[in-house]
Amino acid sequence: MIQAQISQAELLYEAQQRKVRQFRTNVVISWVALLGFLVFLFNGPIEIDSEFIRKNILFIAGGLGQTFYISILSIALATCLALLAALGRLSTFPPLYALSTFYVSLIRGTPLYLQIFFFFLALPQLGIVLPGLFAGVLALGLNYGAYMSETFRAGLSSVSKGQREAAVAIGMTPQQTMRRIVLPQALRFAIPPMGNDFISMTKDSALVSATGFVHEVMWRATRVGRAEFNNLEALIVAAGFYWMMTLVLTFIQSRIEARLARGDR
Amino acid sequence: MTAIIKISNLDKYFGRLHVIKNISLDVQPREVVCLIGRSGSGKSTLLRCINFLEEPSHGSIEVDGIRVEGGEKGKEHRQLVHNVRLKTGMVFQEFNLFPHMSVLENVIEGPVTVKGMDKDKAMALAEENLDSVGMLFKKDEYPNRLSGGQKQRVAIARALSMEPRVMLFDEPTSALDPELIGEVLNVMKKVAKDGMTMLVVTHEMGFAREVADRVLVMGEGEIIEDASPKDLFTQPKDPRTKALIDRYRSGEN
Repeated sequence: MIQAQISQAELLYEAQQRKVRQFRTNVVISWVALLGFLVFLFNGPIEIDSEFIRKNILFIAGGLGQTFYISILSIALATCLALLAALGRLSTFPPLYALSTFYVSLIRGTPLYLQIFFFFLALPQLGIVLPGLFAGVLALGLNYGAYMSETFRAGLSSVSKGQREAAVAIGMTPQQTMRRIVLPQALRFAIPPMGNDFISMTKDSALVSATGFVHEVMWRATRVGRAEFNNLEALIVAAGFYWMMTLVLTFIQSRIEARLARGDR
Repeated sequence: MTAIIKISNLDKYFGRLHVIKNISLDVQPREVVCLIGRSGSGKSTLLRCINFLEEPSHGSIEVDGIRVEGGEKGKEHRQLVHNVRLKTGMVFQEFNLFPHMSVLENVIEGPVTVKGMDKDKAMALAEENLDSVGMLFKKDEYPNRLSGGQKQRVAIARALSMEPRVMLFDEPTSALDPELIGEVLNVMKKVAKDGMTMLVVTHEMGFAREVADRVLVMGEGEIIEDASPKDLFTQPKDPRTKALIDRYRSGEN
């Protein structure tokens, strides 16, 4: 009797797994078809200058390092700011709370594009001239810090009051409770959305090109594109690089999430 | 014999709500005291005042010779509260195990982080305590892989590993499925038998009758009856106590 129940459950499970596999296969086939269609477009109906691409692809690829470098530095800055802003937001001390909400409101209330120009173009008028890369990182970091503070706040709030009470009851100080009990759980909660933010930051770093001081992918693409009036080709190449970068980062993110899913809660 | 817990003229207000009304209470070493009463009678709040999870409004708490006045602030007060917390272990209704740590890590966390105990020594102590609650075989599991009863047993081991003088239990079986209550109560009986001073807020009348040396009945923020279980169950004085016991009897039959 029990034997029969188990095998029935197994059969149901197998049937479901078959369905899932079938669905995945079909999705992959559709993706390949869509990709093939894109390739076909650029080989027939849309004329592109492949000679130009061959000549310039390495030059554009040379910006990948800069793009990645800006993103890493900016996300590091953003993470620190976001954590401080989130702690301020949860503070019962009015000036801290005010500082945090003021920062978030100001940054979220203005365009990222404007903020980047502010650091490059407006500050020099006050006699403050920042190196190109530094100004770009500052603008992106400040901007993403404001958005990510919401994620961190949610992460901190997701840790129940009971967790703090249990920590306090075994004699932990508020600092120990924060460091050993609350933060690890909040970070675990915040890592998946942080991954998303990092991926969108690698793309938003293209905005920094507009100032002309940082020679990342987008800057290089527009430069060669405009010079020879091959904007179509240059932008296609840049788009390809951004897309590949996103795919790689998304893959890494999914691995990290799978690892985090083990052994929690 | 000097009392190990001395509560003197304790008051607790939540805003204008007076939840603990001038309670004084002595508990002797090795005594097992059960606190019963309807929900909202103040029994959990009284328990939580003892280790200052709730700051008393007035009155004082003394645990093992450390006396703390309620309603004070400042560094000295915080240090005294900390010292009291080192003397008291607490077990919660919702277990509150740390989900990002394994069972063993949960149990060594207090000794290592708070007391600065050597990690090997803390592990030996933790394994001993996990063994005594019958949970050593799950030491490398994470809390999400345990049943409610198992979680609560680990929580008891975690509290015991701080080597407290007093254990506070806040409705330790109220969040459990009925078939899991027994294993937790058995562990608590064992802790009592080993000579621990225990204060237990509970709805488990059977446990109170069998294990407690004293049962306190609370109602509207006051202790309305303080008696041995035998006296309480055979000749309750207050009509509210009588009602509680009648309800328990009718559930038993």
